[in-house]
Amino acid sequence: MRTAVRPSRPRAFFASLRLSLLLFLADPQWVIPATIAPVIFGFAAFELYSGSGATLVLYAILGAGMMSMWGQTLYGAGWATSQDRELGTLEPTLSAPTSYLWVVFGRIVVNAVTGLVGGLVVFAVVSLAYPHPLPLQRPFEFLLLFAFVLVTLASVGLVLSAVYVYTRYAGFINNFGEFGFYIITGSMFPVVLLPFWTSPIALLLPPTWALDALRYASLPGYVGFRWGFVGDLVGAVATMLVYLTIAGSVYHRVETHVLTVGNLQEY
Amino acid sequence: MAVPAISVEQLTRVYSSRKGFLFNEVTRTEALRGVDLEVAPGELFGLLGPNGAGKTTLAKILSTLLLPTSGRAHVLGLDVVREANRIRPRIGLVLGGERGLYYRVSGRENLRYFADLYGIARSEREPRITEMLERVGLGDSGDRRVEEYSRGMKQKLHLARGLLHAPELLFLDEPTIGLDPKSARETRKFVRALLAEGVTIFLTTHYMFEAEELCQRIAVLSKGKIVATDTVPGLRRLVGGDRTFEIDGYGFEDSELARVRALPGVSRLVTEEFGPRLRITLRVQDPQLELDRVAQCLLGHPELEVRERRTALEDIYLDLVEEEPA
Ligand SMILES: Nc1ncnc2c1ncn2[C@@H]1O[C@H](COP(=O)(O)OP(=O)(O)OP(=O)(O)O)[C@@H](O)[C@H]1O
Ligand SMILES: [Mg+2]
Repeated sequence: MRTAVRPSRPRAFFASLRLSLLLFLADPQWVIPATIAPVIFGFAAFELYSGSGATLVLYAILGAGMMSMWGQTLYGAGWATSQDRELGTLEPTLSAPTSYLWVVFGRIVVNAVTGLVGGLVVFAVVSLAYPHPLPLQRPFEFLLLFAFVLVTLASVGLVLSAVYVYTRYAGFINNFGEFGFYIITGSMFPVVLLPFWTSPIALLLPPTWALDALRYASLPGYVGFRWGFVGDLVGAVATMLVYLTIAGSVYHRVETHVLTVGNLQEY
Repeated sequence: MAVPAISVEQLTRVYSSRKGFLFNEVTRTEALRGVDLEVAPGELFGLLGPNGAGKTTLAKILSTLLLPTSGRAHVLGLDVVREANRIRPRIGLVLGGERGLYYRVSGRENLRYFADLYGIARSEREPRITEMLERVGLGDSGDRRVEEYSRGMKQKLHLARGLLHAPELLFLDEPTIGLDPKSARETRKFVRALLAEGVTIFLTTHYMFEAEELCQRIAVLSKGKIVATDTVPGLRRLVGGDRTFEIDGYGFEDSELARVRALPGVSRLVTEEFGPRLRITLRVQDPQLELDRVAQCLLGHPELEVRERRTALEDIYLDLVEEEPA
């Protein structure tokens, strides 16, 4: 009964993508973070900014969409790993010959895409509620950059997920990381309005750069970082490469750590 | 000589766990304290031992899910620490129990996921999954969600998953725990069939008859140390006899017991109290010879009730585990 076994990273990635999607669909309560929560965020932002003109409304929508995507990315990166530990599926997954990194990657992509759906929901709801047409420039570039923001989010998610594999006490990241991140990356307010000390931190996060690029591309008259759109793109790619490199090297060490400590099945 | 399927030398494993909010209290558990063993290719090797003896710890180290603290372990000739990546595609691990499955999706979907993680050829994946589901007896329920499975069905799904990629060496940690007698028997039959196909099997179990029925050699692990490794007949010799006497009576004197214990062909005398009644259990080599001599020592007790039986693996096991040095 010999069977050809040839472990491959793309197969692991797609297997994880497929399973995450099935698990997501099998559990309808995730409609809440993916759609209901963004609608609420969207309306809240709309209330705050609706007196200040269409551009700011659009700004608010972007922020709400980002929150939805980031929330889902954190879920994919972290919570799903805690879930694996709880279900007892972390052991068989780690005993398979492909690195867990690719499994996490697949999850993050699925979750970020469901977050993207959340963002689109926000956009649709606010466009309907707002009496004037929203000045979205170059919708094609907008979508492309939106997808790019998604990829930068995934790179942060990958690094964070390593913490979840490392320890079962990583849940605090969800609480701290979620809101801290919204503010620091400028999802809620422009980074330039934040206290000076936050911006070096913000610049360590690839989504800050990508988000600024997205705003340059889509908001008329937007003034963000002084290095402008192209500078943003370069910064985003550069910081993202750093994150991916960290993820790649950290994962190996994290796996060694958990095999040393033996905390794969604690819950 | 062929490379052993498993070879372990002086293996130790210490768990440190922290307690308390400030992480200041560290407890160390020595789960394995210098284990040596060797398993030949194609062998069915059984590991017995009381709760907490370290069986699961050993199985996890050998299946690359845990690193040893010291010592060496080789699986299929490869080092479990340095060559784990080359070991993983060639071994299977089945941890008993209900955890470890994605219960919101079907059994088949669980198997698909792991088939992809192992990289089973795409063209072979579906036929292979169907074949494994049928072989473990889940042919009709593969498309049902795992949350609808009974405990035994989950256990069978674990088995199917562990075997999906046709491993050369299979680790089974209490594979029949919680199964009904019929399912447990089917599982044992399945294990024998795998053995006939040439798979090496490392089995841990608490069921003595299971070990006796299946295993070619058995190791008894107690408090992190192997106290004996042998075939069942070999273990019988080790504990001093093929036959066991159980003698029930009343009011035995210590001096009488001492005389019985001193008889040359007698070993392992233990006493148990059942209310006023006392039961003496002892192992003997030659029952014909010994019964008379034992009776001579206990002449003052006409009410004696004596039973003789074959020494069971359970007797041996209890002897070994109780004898274990501190
Ligand atoms: N993750 C862990 N952290 C701390 N101690 C552990 C851990 N896992 C096991 N131990 C300890 O190591 C010892 C051996 O445990 P192990 O699970 O290997 O025993 P076992 O022989 O499989 O027992 P059982 O028959 O109950 O399954 C026990 O004292 C146990 O408490
Ligand atoms: Mg165990």
